[in-house]
Amino acid sequence: MSSQMNALLREKEILKVSNLSISFGGLKAVDDISFLVHEKEIFGLIGPNGAGKTSVFNCITQFYRPDGGEILFRTNRGEVVDLVGKKVHDIISLGLVRTFQNVEVIRELSLLDNLLLGAHTEYKSSVISQILRLPNAKRDEREMAARAEEILEVLGILNLRDVPAGGQSYGVLKKVELARTLMTKPRIIILDEPAAGLDDGETLQFAETIKQIRDRYNLAILLVEHDMRLVMGICDRVCAINFGRYLACDIPAEIQKNKHVQEAYLGEEESDVD
Amino acid sequence: MEKNKAISLLLKDPRTRYVIIGVLVATIPFLATAGLLRSAVVILIGSILIYSVAGLGINILLGYSGLISLGTAGFMGFAAYIAAYLTMNLGFPFEITLLISIAVPVLLGLFVGLVSFRIEGIYLAIATLSVGEVLRRSFEELVGFTNSFAGMRVNYPTLFGVWSLDRNGTFVLIAVALTLAMILTHNIVHSRPGRALHAMRGSTVAAQAMGVNILRYRLFAFAVSTGLVALAGVLYVHFVRFTHPDIWGWGLSLNILALVIIGGLRSIYGTLLGAFVVFGIPSLILVRLPIIGDIPGVSFVFNGIVIVIVVLLYPRGIVSIFTDIGKLIKKTGRA
Repeated sequence: MSSQMNALLREKEILKVSNLSISFGGLKAVDDISFLVHEKEIFGLIGPNGAGKTSVFNCITQFYRPDGGEILFRTNRGEVVDLVGKKVHDIISLGLVRTFQNVEVIRELSLLDNLLLGAHTEYKSSVISQILRLPNAKRDEREMAARAEEILEVLGILNLRDVPAGGQSYGVLKKVELARTLMTKPRIIILDEPAAGLDDGETLQFAETIKQIRDRYNLAILLVEHDMRLVMGICDRVCAINFGRYLACDIPAEIQKNKHVQEAYLGEEESDVD
Repeated sequence: MEKNKAISLLLKDPRTRYVIIGVLVATIPFLATAGLLRSAVVILIGSILIYSVAGLGINILLGYSGLISLGTAGFMGFAAYIAAYLTMNLGFPFEITLLISIAVPVLLGLFVGLVSFRIEGIYLAIATLSVGEVLRRSFEELVGFTNSFAGMRVNYPTLFGVWSLDRNGTFVLIAVALTLAMILTHNIVHSRPGRALHAMRGSTVAAQAMGVNILRYRLFAFAVSTGLVALAGVLYVHFVRFTHPDIWGWGLSLNILALVIIGGLRSIYGTLLGAFVVFGIPSLILVRLPIIGDIPGVSFVFNGIVIVIVVLLYPRGIVSIFTDIGKLIKKTGRA
């Protein structure tokens, strides 16, 4: 089965969304959308509010079950699978992790513990040995803590290691969430509107962090965003959608010039005439 | 030098502190034997410790996992009746009784956990409340098993078939059980499964994205919680040596819930503290007072008032008063 599917993704291709559709009560939120993400690429999925970006996002991560289409993904182990129909909690162990628009960190836990939570699927020991603190569970815990500390260091927040996440600034929390996705050594991370709630300076800073992460950890990044500043600055390629339909897919400079995209963002010229 | 370091490291481990608390608590009944405490007080403190064990179970459920149960008393009573029936009617040894009386309620708890996958919040509260009441009604109706309103008498436990405990021995057994329950709770909440419970309480969606299997951890939370509540039930029936349907009404469930909230959600020390406030203060102090002591149900009135005060002033429970004081001392010490 999977050897047949391996032929469906060419080398260097990591995620291929084909003819994806989903509708809610007759409304087509996503209508026949296809795009392709390469390894180590920062890929932007853009569109105005209500374009269906988040629906595409939730279809990829299996929070929604699409009505039609295929989502081929090359996993950690190098085999190609169709994500459609997989369990939500199994997606992360395949090598695909997401963040949330409204930053879902556990406020009561320290930064370190939040990162360890991100490594939930990485432990080799059983729950019983974790509760009894058997040597193999302790070894797991040490290994994950070391991994977490390295990531915190890279993101420049190692000094906040043992502080509860609750009192931290929004910028730090965004970093924590990003750091947490790295715990499973993913092949691709999907960021849901990472610029939401950040000011211009913070957005620029965060864009740098994203690039740094990509270069250091050799992973692909899929950005779902409507903030053009962030997208145009760091994306290698961008796919624009509107009303659930595909508009264009190209390098940022070309997307900016694209007439359909301009219309989608600024409104059609005709609509100005009353 | 090296030795001192090792000792201070050992003292820093919370588990060492739980053992110290356990040992200190275990000396209480011998104070009574020495004539320093009244024996009624010993029985009261023993039952407070038992309620603490049940409280730890509810804290795992409500505090860490964000799930509510109002059927605690039913499950505790269920375990108590199984223990009573197996030891008194069938002559089972204590150890096997203990295993069965925990396993059977846990199975029922797992079923409730399965249901909790579908319903949440207030609906889960109502569902568990009715499970608890169904159990209590069964204690009244299943005369052959429970002896109904005549109640059942039980002996102090006999360990390994030869070692018959007296009241003090049973008290020590309770202290041991409480210490183990504290260590178990600590280990769970400070390891991978505990973090998964935290994530599940925060947001099921985010937890799933982290790879947490929600159904599995709901079942885990209900199993551990029911296990501790059932353990409390077995200890109760062997310590008080009596069980009666009226003991296991929803009033007890509410009191156990109250002790967790008053003491402090997500705090092991808080649970102990809460148990002393909810079950200790009314019987030790209030009933001795003139006028106030004569009010029927004064303990419920007291608990209600304490909950309101705590929720308004110390939403993290009265245990936070002590952590605040500790911080204050550190601050002034540094200044």
